[in-house]
Amino acid sequence: MQWGLALATLVLFFTIVGPWLVPHDPLEPDYRALYAAPSFMHLLGTDGLGRDVFARTLAGGRVSLVIALTATCVTALLGTLAGLVAAQLGGRWDAALVRIFDALLAFPGFLLVLLVVAALGGGTVQTILALGVAGTPLYFRLVRGFARTARDLDHVQAARAIGAGPLRTSLRHVLPTFLGPLTVQLATTAAGFLLVEASLSYLGLGVSLPTPTWGNVLQDARALLMRQPWAALGPGLALGMSTLSLQLIADGIRDALDPKRNGTW
Amino acid sequence: MVAFLARSLASLAVTFVMVMTLVFVAMEALPGDAAMLRSGIDASAAATDAARRELGLDAPVIVRYAQWWGDLVRGDLGDSFRERRPVTTILVERLPVTGALALAAFSLSVVLGLGLGFLAGMTPGSRFDRGVLGYTTIGLALPEFWFGFVLLLVFAIAWPVLPLIGLPDGGGAGAWLRHLTLPAITLAIPRAAQLARLTRATVLEHRQADWVRTVRAKGGPASLEFRHVAANASPGLFAPIALEAGGLLTGTIVVEQVFGLPGVGAMLIGAIGARDVPVVQGATVLAVLVYVAMNLLADVALAAGDPRAREA
Repeated sequence: MQWGLALATLVLFFTIVGPWLVPHDPLEPDYRALYAAPSFMHLLGTDGLGRDVFARTLAGGRVSLVIALTATCVTALLGTLAGLVAAQLGGRWDAALVRIFDALLAFPGFLLVLLVVAALGGGTVQTILALGVAGTPLYFRLVRGFARTARDLDHVQAARAIGAGPLRTSLRHVLPTFLGPLTVQLATTAAGFLLVEASLSYLGLGVSLPTPTWGNVLQDARALLMRQPWAALGPGLALGMSTLSLQLIADGIRDALDPKRNGTW
Repeated sequence: MVAFLARSLASLAVTFVMVMTLVFVAMEALPGDAAMLRSGIDASAAATDAARRELGLDAPVIVRYAQWWGDLVRGDLGDSFRERRPVTTILVERLPVTGALALAAFSLSVVLGLGLGFLAGMTPGSRFDRGVLGYTTIGLALPEFWFGFVLLLVFAIAWPVLPLIGLPDGGGAGAWLRHLTLPAITLAIPRAAQLARLTRATVLEHRQADWVRTVRAKGGPASLEFRHVAANASPGLFAPIALEAGGLLTGTIVVEQVFGLPGVGAMLIGAIGARDVPVVQGATVLAVLVYVAMNLLADVALAAGDPRAREA
């Protein structure tokens, strides 16, 4: 957990402050320095357009992290709302919602993201939407399950007995019973979205060039793999550190919530 | 068991109809005008209209939806806009590459994942256990294509024992195997890690069971303890394994791109770029069919291995 937070702080520091510290514009080509090897001026060398790979990695981190974190919020919000509504209303509404989300779950996740991006076109907002849609069924299932269990808890029944409405019951009494496990899931989802976004941009379907993300900086690196393998190192390392920190945080919260699990991974 | 199968199939049928309807809606939502693509971008309005009638696109949505189901049931996925030949033909050409890759990656990740997970779970806290933890942590923290880069650098560039990209022209099974080795390992790295984690957790849980403790207390050999754990832990692992198999078809998309393999995934990406809707649809239908079938297989396998699961 401590390691996770430390890593997360490091990643956040570099992606927020980093781009101001590097004396290169991530979009500015420098035709006098194409394919430069790593040096003090260019820590990770330059790419085929003479753009500083280190600067692009730092700037790409901003885009990648914003997409992954925003999409996580979107998917959690949609899924939680739908899950709470289904559990609260029950009956026909519940059955209908379950059917719809089951159908979405029948798509392999990555394919769903691909199709939504293909339909909407690439871009930051479109990628966030695609990830949000793809992640929602999972949260719906999770929240609906938790909320149905919570319905029968004493304090929830008591709240209902003294006249709390469905909205108040759901948000004040049902939701807090599973906020912990939900937070664990949030961290896991954010890590997963980071990887999916990287794959999308790698395929050229995510955020469009020249805006750097870790995915399309890696795509550039693939083209130059034989010539300058170090270009793949920076974005890979940054991406790995980010997902690792999120996973460690998720594990930490899980252990804190369930002392029996302590020490087992 | 028969009742269970009947219920699973009925539920699957409903899901299938819903999913295919979603595919239809998604294909309607994809940008690009088929008639325009068919007649050429600079065709006259009349020519475009003629193409629209020829493709049956002037009919109302409901009619097209019904026709679409009719074609689908007969196994007709339409013609590619770009190549002007049946999508099923293209799929059949592409499938061997993706199928072989998926199969190789699947076998590798199941053997590795189950093996590492079981051994780590039987020896918690050992050096081996910690080694597996390290592997699964890294294996799940990076995108799979990045491992592909590393493998390429090591085994195709720095120490060129395996081919860099593409497929051999002709050549026997040996040549194919050499070309599919690195892609299959790339695909297997995160999947084996995921499975190893799950297996380890399941094994740990079942090791605490009363009957395993009894075996240990009576001084039974390690192999007996292993058998008791394996018998109870296995059914719970069927579902994740089947799900992994179902997801592999889409997992190959990125890896085919890294290694320049002409499979279904590469076809899908190309079709998305060219707005070739029938091809996108063909790949989608195929992926969804495999995924749904594997889900059913998971349920059946679980029910076969664990009678309690048949009740639900």
